[in-house]
Formats: sequence, C-alpha cells, structure tokens
Amino acid sequence: MTKMSYVKRSMITAVCIALCVVLPMAFHSIQNAGSIFSPMHIPVLLCGLICGWPFGLLCGIAGPVLSSLLTSMPAMAYLPPMAVELAVYGLAAGIMMQAVHTKKIYADLYLSLIAAMLAGRLVAGAAKALIFAPGSYSMAAWAGSYFVTCWPAIVIQLALIPTICFALEKARLIPARYRN
Amino acid sequence: MSRMPAGQYIPGRSPVHRLDARIKICGFLILLAAVIGAGSWAGYLWVILALAAILRISGLPLRPVLEPFLRLWTFFLVIFLMNALFFDGQGGIWSWWIFHLSAEGVRRGFSVVVHVALALVLGNLLTCTTAPMELMEALKVFLRPLKLIRVPVDDVAMILSVAVQFVPTLLEEADTVKKAQIARGARFESKKLTEKAASFIPLVVPVFIAAFRRADELALAMEARGYRGKRKSPKRKSACLQAPDITALAVCAAVFAVQFLLIHI
Repeated sequence: MTKMSYVKRSMITAVCIALCVVLPMAFHSIQNAGSIFSPMHIPVLLCGLICGWPFGLLCGIAGPVLSSLLTSMPAMAYLPPMAVELAVYGLAAGIMMQAVHTKKIYADLYLSLIAAMLAGRLVAGAAKALIFAPGSYSMAAWAGSYFVTCWPAIVIQLALIPTICFALEKARLIPARYRN
Repeated sequence: MSRMPAGQYIPGRSPVHRLDARIKICGFLILLAAVIGAGSWAGYLWVILALAAILRISGLPLRPVLEPFLRLWTFFLVIFLMNALFFDGQGGIWSWWIFHLSAEGVRRGFSVVVHVALALVLGNLLTCTTAPMELMEALKVFLRPLKLIRVPVDDVAMILSVAVQFVPTLLEEADTVKKAQIARGARFESKKLTEKAASFIPLVVPVFIAAFRRADELALAMEARGYRGKRKSPKRKSACLQAPDITALAVCAAVFAVQFLLIHI
C-alpha cells in the first residue's frame, strides 16, 4: 500500500474528506447515529491506513471541520475535541501501518486499526480532561462515551474497514500490500 | 439525503454575500467571541440584535439559518433541564427526590442553551452567505503561515477544494446506491435500530468503492496532464480588500467592543 503516487494519495485523501461529510448525512436518518455509529471515523481510519500518516492526519483535521462548515454536523462546540480524536486516528493508523509488517495483511490491518482506535480515544479523553472540559470530566464519562455508547461503532469499524480494504485491493484501486 | 441540510450556501447579491470570504471568517471569529462573552440580559440582547441585523441585511430566509436550532430543540431542552434540575447551588426554588430546581441552575441552563444556539446561528450565517470555494480560498490564505513549518499549503488547499467538489457527486452516488439497496430489500426506514444499522452496511462498501474509483480516475487524469504535486504553485495575488470589507470588519469589532464594555460595567 506504499507504492501509490503522491497525486493518487492526495485524491484518495480528498474523497475521504468528502466522505466525512457524506456518510454522516447518510446515517442522519437514524436517531443519535452520530454518537452511536460514528460514521466519520471510517474514512479517516481508512485514509490513514491506505495513504499514510500525513494524509490521515490531514483527513482527521479537515474532515470534521469541512463537515461542520457545510452541514453544521458536528456543531461548532463539539468540533475541537472531535478534530483532535480524528486527527489521532488518522495519524496513528498511518504510523502503525508503516511500522507493522507481520507478512499477513489481516494482522497488519487489525493491529493498526485497534492501536489507532485506542490511541484516538486516549488522546481525546486526555484533551477533554485537560483542555476542553477541565475539572468536569471523569473516567466514567470517558469510558461511557468512548466505549459503552459507541460499541456499535467499534463493531462496525472493525468489521467494515478491513472489508473495504480488501474490496479496494480486489478492484485494483489500491496496490496489494504483500505479493502472494 | 440528496438535499444538503442546514448550512448550505444560498446564492444571493446582498452586501453580506458580496463581502470578501477572509473578512467574513475574521468577522465570524470576532462575533463568536462576543457570543461567548455574553453573560447578562443586556449582553444576550446585544448579540441577538447584531445577528438579527446581519440576517436582515443578508436577505436570507429565516428557516435555513435557524434550522440547526429547530433540529436540536430536544438536545437544548435536555441541557436546560439537566442544568436547572441538577445544579447544586444557592437559591433553591423547589426540591423533590434527586431533583433540585434552583435559580442559579435555571440561569446556567439558559446561558448554555443561548450560547450554543447563537454560535450555531452565527456559523450558519457564514456558510449560507459564502460559496464553499470562496471559503477554501480564504482558508488557503490563513494557512499560509504553516509554510514556515514546511506544510505543503498549496497541496492541502488543492485537496480541500477537490473534497468540496466531490461532496455533491458522492451524495448523488450514495443516493443511487441507497435506492438500489432498497430495491434489493434493504430496510432503511425500519424502526428497529439493528435493522437500520444492518441496512447501512451494504450502503457503505459500494459508496467507498465508487468514491475510490473516482479518485483513481482523477489522479490518472491529473498525472496524464503533468501534475506531480509537491511543487510550488505560481504566486497569485489575493484580491485587495474593498471599503465595504473594512467597514464590515469595523462593525464586527464595534459589536465586540460594546459586548466587552457590557461585561466590565
């Protein structure tokens, strides 16, 4: 997945940022879909895994900002912590994918994905506790909002992202990571 | 899904529409500071009057600007009630079981709701009166200092402008896929959360494939025309600010200055 040209990685990042706007709109008909399914996380994680950390970082910052500007989702008040969380997702997914080489694509994807999801949640929780809501943010609130409320999102992301990666590889839209 | 929700650009020829996007972003930030600073009845009234004046000058219909507030009214109600009934402060009005209605709680709840609602309306005023591409160009100007830490600002701006142009295309694509899945029996309108969620999974994978196919075609076309990225783009001179732009910025600064005086009197 590292043999793509700079232009192609730029264009994939552009569509992932656009999907950060489109997917929440597609999920919008479900009540509280944003907090339960976290649809914006999928393109950011995918961008980090496929294009590398600089592009993942850009997608993580620009995706929520653009969505907030164009559709008011997320609301301006929730934008800074969300941008921090998504930026770490994109960054960590890219770094992990660059660092992990187990010779098995499944293992690489899941290790990078889980590490990125944990890193994003840890940093976002720390940012909320120290910067965005100092003094009024507890461990229980962090665990509740990042693990309990959004468990369907965790399941969907773990099931969908590797599936999308394989589908893209099969459609020859991204190069294969390992040659068989 | 094919219709953009609240916040979509509404073309117009009003003085607010004609302002430079850079000035609109600066004005938005100044007015946001005035909204955040409001803490008294006079302060709230002042900001509401300023926003109403901008809305009147922009000639925008009321509904799209107030849409986020109307859409989130249950959220605002919950926030207000949580503050009003659970705030542990002085001036208790009524108490029962775990509920404790206090004057301070009502004041805090009202303050939180008004701040968020006004910030939402202000953000909507910006996006309803500014074309997305103009916003991107303005963003590029503000990102320019990042060149000092070797951030490829031109490439970032190019990616953002391509992303903005992809949004309607991908919305259309998602709508087409959604209709195809409905024809195959997907139950998007089901009242069961699990059924709704399960029906969205077959929507996401084809949308991603279609989006990546478009990215692949665009990258190929750009490379065929010699675009390689990471190169310095020719310096374009930004448009000079006009008298109305300076006046608008001064008005925003005046609104903030009055708010500042109201806070400190």
